[in-house]
Amino acid sequence: MIVLRLGWRNLWRNSRRSLITISAVACGFAFLIVLIGLMVGVANQMLHNGTELLMGDVQLHHQDYLPERNLYDTLGRDSAGDLDEWRTRIGRLPELEQTSARVYAFGLLSTGNRSAGAQLMGVEPDSEVRLTAFLDGLEGNLTDPATSHPLILGKLLAQELEAVVGTEVAVVTQSADGSLGNDLFHVSGILHTGLRYLDRTLAVFTISDLQELLVLESGQIHEIAMSIQDPMGADRFAFNLNASSSLPPDGLAQSWGDLAPQLRDYIGLAQSMYGFMIVIIGLFVAVGVLNTMMMAVFERSREIGLLNALGMRPWPIVGSILLESVFLGLLGLGAGLGVGAWAMSYLTSQGLDLTRWMGELSMLGTRMDPVLKAVWGWDYVLWSAMGLLISTLLAAFFPAVRAARLDPVKALAAPVEG
Amino acid sequence: MTSNLRVATLMILAILSISFIEAQTDLSQLTAVEIVDRVDRMLRGDSSRGTMQMTVKTRRWERQMTLEIWSEGTEKALVKVLRPKKEEGVTTLKVNSDMWNYLPKIDRTIRIPTSMMMASWMGSHFTNDDLVKESRLIHDYDIELSYQGKREELPVWEFTLTPHPDAPVVWGKIHYQVRKQDLMPTWVAYYGEDGERKRTLIFSDYREFGGRLVPARSRMIPEDEPEEFTEINYLELQFDVSIPRGTFSLASLRR
Repeated sequence: MIVLRLGWRNLWRNSRRSLITISAVACGFAFLIVLIGLMVGVANQMLHNGTELLMGDVQLHHQDYLPERNLYDTLGRDSAGDLDEWRTRIGRLPELEQTSARVYAFGLLSTGNRSAGAQLMGVEPDSEVRLTAFLDGLEGNLTDPATSHPLILGKLLAQELEAVVGTEVAVVTQSADGSLGNDLFHVSGILHTGLRYLDRTLAVFTISDLQELLVLESGQIHEIAMSIQDPMGADRFAFNLNASSSLPPDGLAQSWGDLAPQLRDYIGLAQSMYGFMIVIIGLFVAVGVLNTMMMAVFERSREIGLLNALGMRPWPIVGSILLESVFLGLLGLGAGLGVGAWAMSYLTSQGLDLTRWMGELSMLGTRMDPVLKAVWGWDYVLWSAMGLLISTLLAAFFPAVRAARLDPVKALAAPVEG
Repeated sequence: MTSNLRVATLMILAILSISFIEAQTDLSQLTAVEIVDRVDRMLRGDSSRGTMQMTVKTRRWERQMTLEIWSEGTEKALVKVLRPKKEEGVTTLKVNSDMWNYLPKIDRTIRIPTSMMMASWMGSHFTNDDLVKESRLIHDYDIELSYQGKREELPVWEFTLTPHPDAPVVWGKIHYQVRKQDLMPTWVAYYGEDGERKRTLIFSDYREFGGRLVPARSRMIPEDEPEEFTEINYLELQFDVSIPRGTFSLASLRR
């Protein structure tokens, strides 16, 4: 107990110096909170846009489907009919939130004299809207009963075809039976994802319309996209799904990390960056604390020598000095948390508006919101706090050991300091 | 007309006819380009009309279509599906390097954009580009005689065609074999930019149609799916027929 009191009292013997060191720790911590908050914000946004826009967290295909995307490699290829049963079984998995089936093909779209090749995508409108965001916020929709054969076009594709809502579009494609599938559709919506390759190539149909055009059975689909409660657990979820009997025997589940390795790489890179930043800031803080504690020990040489001479054992001396640095660190962390929280309250709600510098931008194929919002990464805040506390402790260790080893005779002979 | 001019005209005619006779009699004097061009003209005529059967076999399905074709020179062609019922009346019109498809089911005519030129034509192993670019070999390629002699007891020429640097073609190289006896093509091998063979067109069943010898059967085999093929068999073929005006127009597509 005396050690605790000693440490606390010593802290305020040179209050100005202590306050400077405390504010250094505080600045470092606040800086880490804000910077990591922004980086987590970017990573989260990339993950959300990467998965929520179109991909989903986990996708299920016929094992041969990717990367060729052959029309015939449907999930129901080898045993159609059971697909509904599998979907029901998969749907019972506790982590699962939503599933949506899709069919893909390539085709030619034509309006009068304008034609363009397009990626045809058939979706289940109701579940797709609950799963992904790419159909959000478009004028018109796929479920309007007034339009038979509805079709949604990417914005740039629509421009190329000079199509607007209501325009009649002829769609031609190679059907599964080898015949030339062709039919008329009416544009019921224009899609604007902000991602060029989607806006330029995507034509979205209801899944049944596209299956009919392609002469596919209703059980023949190319993809089931899924969302799960914790996107970061997608790898494990996909692994378990592949190992389970819930899956069609020729099906293969893949996480967003498998499907978009660049996204996984970025998030992995960001995580190692956090560690790197914690180490760097920790080093700066350690140098500050080391300096402070060296000074403190040096000033108190006589006092420590006296305690030594009076028979105080070295351990309480070391303890008091270490505790002093712990107090330094804790006060710094507290202050830093305050400042950081204040900055974060702005950055999480208002965010940094980068519109002026960047406009609409995409990164690694995912759309980025130009307003960058920070996100509390509590794990990393905790790691930062631990890192900084450990570095203050380590920094104080050397002065503390020195103090404990002081030769009382020499220490007492040293001149008295201010 | 002055006598001088008359003499000059006669002389030109004489020279032309002599060179024509020579070309007829001594094929070995022809350049590689001339042979390829001549083979092409023989197979085509100024105009032609015929019906053919197209068999497409893929890993998943096999189907037969009966097609009616008209052509005029190398610039114009019209192909109309007669059978099967599902695609009856589907018509492809080619004029110069433009192409349209008429689809009777939806009663619409669709222009094939440049970006779709490498897509399959009617589900076959021929591309849209094959129809458009057909017979432009001597325009787009440098033609070189790469072999002359006997292959399996048959005297042949083999040509290597390399595209002009700025030619709008997709092949890196074409090999072309023509048998000497009757100037009939025997096969054409298409190579990609990477130098690998992509597909082979094999001619057979040489028969006379409309007074001309032609290979009645041609089979296209893709290199990556050797079990698949598209085979075309002429059922009948006439050359230098008179084709009604307006046949090669968008308006005629619907008829």
